[in-house]
Amino acid sequence: MMISDTLQKQQTVQISAHNLQMKFKQNTLFNVPELTFKQGDVIYLQGDNGSGKSTLMKILAGLMTPTQGQVISQGFAPKSWWQPDNLFGKAVYLHQHPYLFEGTVKYNLTYALSQLKIPVSERNDRITQAVNMAQLGDLLNHNASDLSGGERQRLAIARAWIIQPKLLMLDEPISNMDKQSQRLVLEMINQLKQDGTGLLLSSHQTCGLTALCQQHWHIKQRTIHTSMHVPAAETVHQTNTTELHYGTTD
Amino acid sequence: MSFAALLITIIPSIILGFILAFSHFRGRWIVINLVQTLQSIPTVVIGLLVYLLLTRNGALGDLKWLFTQKGMILGQMLICAPVLIALSQAAFSSVDRRAWETSRTLGASWLRAVWTLCRELRVPLLLAIIAGFSRILTEVGCSMMVGGNIMDVTRNIPTAIALETSKGDFAQAIALGLVLLILALVLNFILGSLRGKALPRSH
Repeated sequence: MMISDTLQKQQTVQISAHNLQMKFKQNTLFNVPELTFKQGDVIYLQGDNGSGKSTLMKILAGLMTPTQGQVISQGFAPKSWWQPDNLFGKAVYLHQHPYLFEGTVKYNLTYALSQLKIPVSERNDRITQAVNMAQLGDLLNHNASDLSGGERQRLAIARAWIIQPKLLMLDEPISNMDKQSQRLVLEMINQLKQDGTGLLLSSHQTCGLTALCQQHWHIKQRTIHTSMHVPAAETVHQTNTTELHYGTTD
Repeated sequence: MSFAALLITIIPSIILGFILAFSHFRGRWIVINLVQTLQSIPTVVIGLLVYLLLTRNGALGDLKWLFTQKGMILGQMLICAPVLIALSQAAFSSVDRRAWETSRTLGASWLRAVWTLCRELRVPLLLAIIAGFSRILTEVGCSMMVGGNIMDVTRNIPTAIALETSKGDFAQAIALGLVLLILALVLNFILGSLRGKALPRSH
């Protein structure tokens, strides 16, 4: 009983939030009674600018403390006895504008690898795979600060992919990117989905990105509406054309 | 000896700077302001303070450190600590929040994340160390008072220069002055070249 219990826990991990409330000064950003993000989920997080998409992600990543409520993780391997049990490193959060550490592309790519206890051969395999996936082969020894926007994003995703997180949150992963980089990033995200990683993607434009998602979280009127129905790419497209239309009449 | 003072002071000062930059407690701004003000406290006054502490009737009189190198190190530590704390606090508050968040979310331990921050901030932190070291090298008042300028024991180059000048032995004073100058310039140059190319970043 105990063994099957732990086995099951190891198979699916999840982070759930209960009675979450986030306030900045007196303004309530959102109230969420219940929210669960688990392995295998691919969720499209929608919301206007300033509605709290990034804040929600940061709360789930443990980088921000909500004003009220709690966030609980389940099914993760326990940390060493001397390490405090917290949310860090469970649901990995990727910034909209990724931060690259000072140093080479390779240093950034392998930053998180050194704290994993994995054999050298597997380590090298993962590096090769990540480099191929993100097509950063020619840039490995370049300084990370010399990369273009698209390359930075690819490197950031590869840096997270390499530790094979069970849950990954990407904040506007393909905004402000050219077609080629968008395609590569979409491929990487698709690969993560195939691997069974739980994904939470926020975006405002998305056509290809929404198509990957199976669930929809919408931050609207200070709460989060969850549904299993992802709005089709057309709806998003429609709003784009309306915006364009307004743009031309101005 | 100046190195010893610097080495002992660096780590606690940088930790204090880190705490001041990241913790939020009541009266934090007063502490920060106070540390920044202490940077300009004259070294002679610190000398007086340490002298009073170490003198036989002083609070630390039992240590019998007055007119010893240990006493001088204590004085020099007090001289460079405010500079180190204030400048490292400034360095840590200038860091990009995302550096910390990225490190932690990728699963780095608290200690590794702190180390990563120090690595990201190596230029401003090195500048803090250079400033602290310069303040030690350039002071004469505290060493003179606490050390007593005893030959072969507590005489250092600045106190020797002061002595030779007052004796009228300018040649000796100039020679020593040149030695100190070259020493200071070379050390700061070496420290400075450790910075590497420090270019502004766009992201």
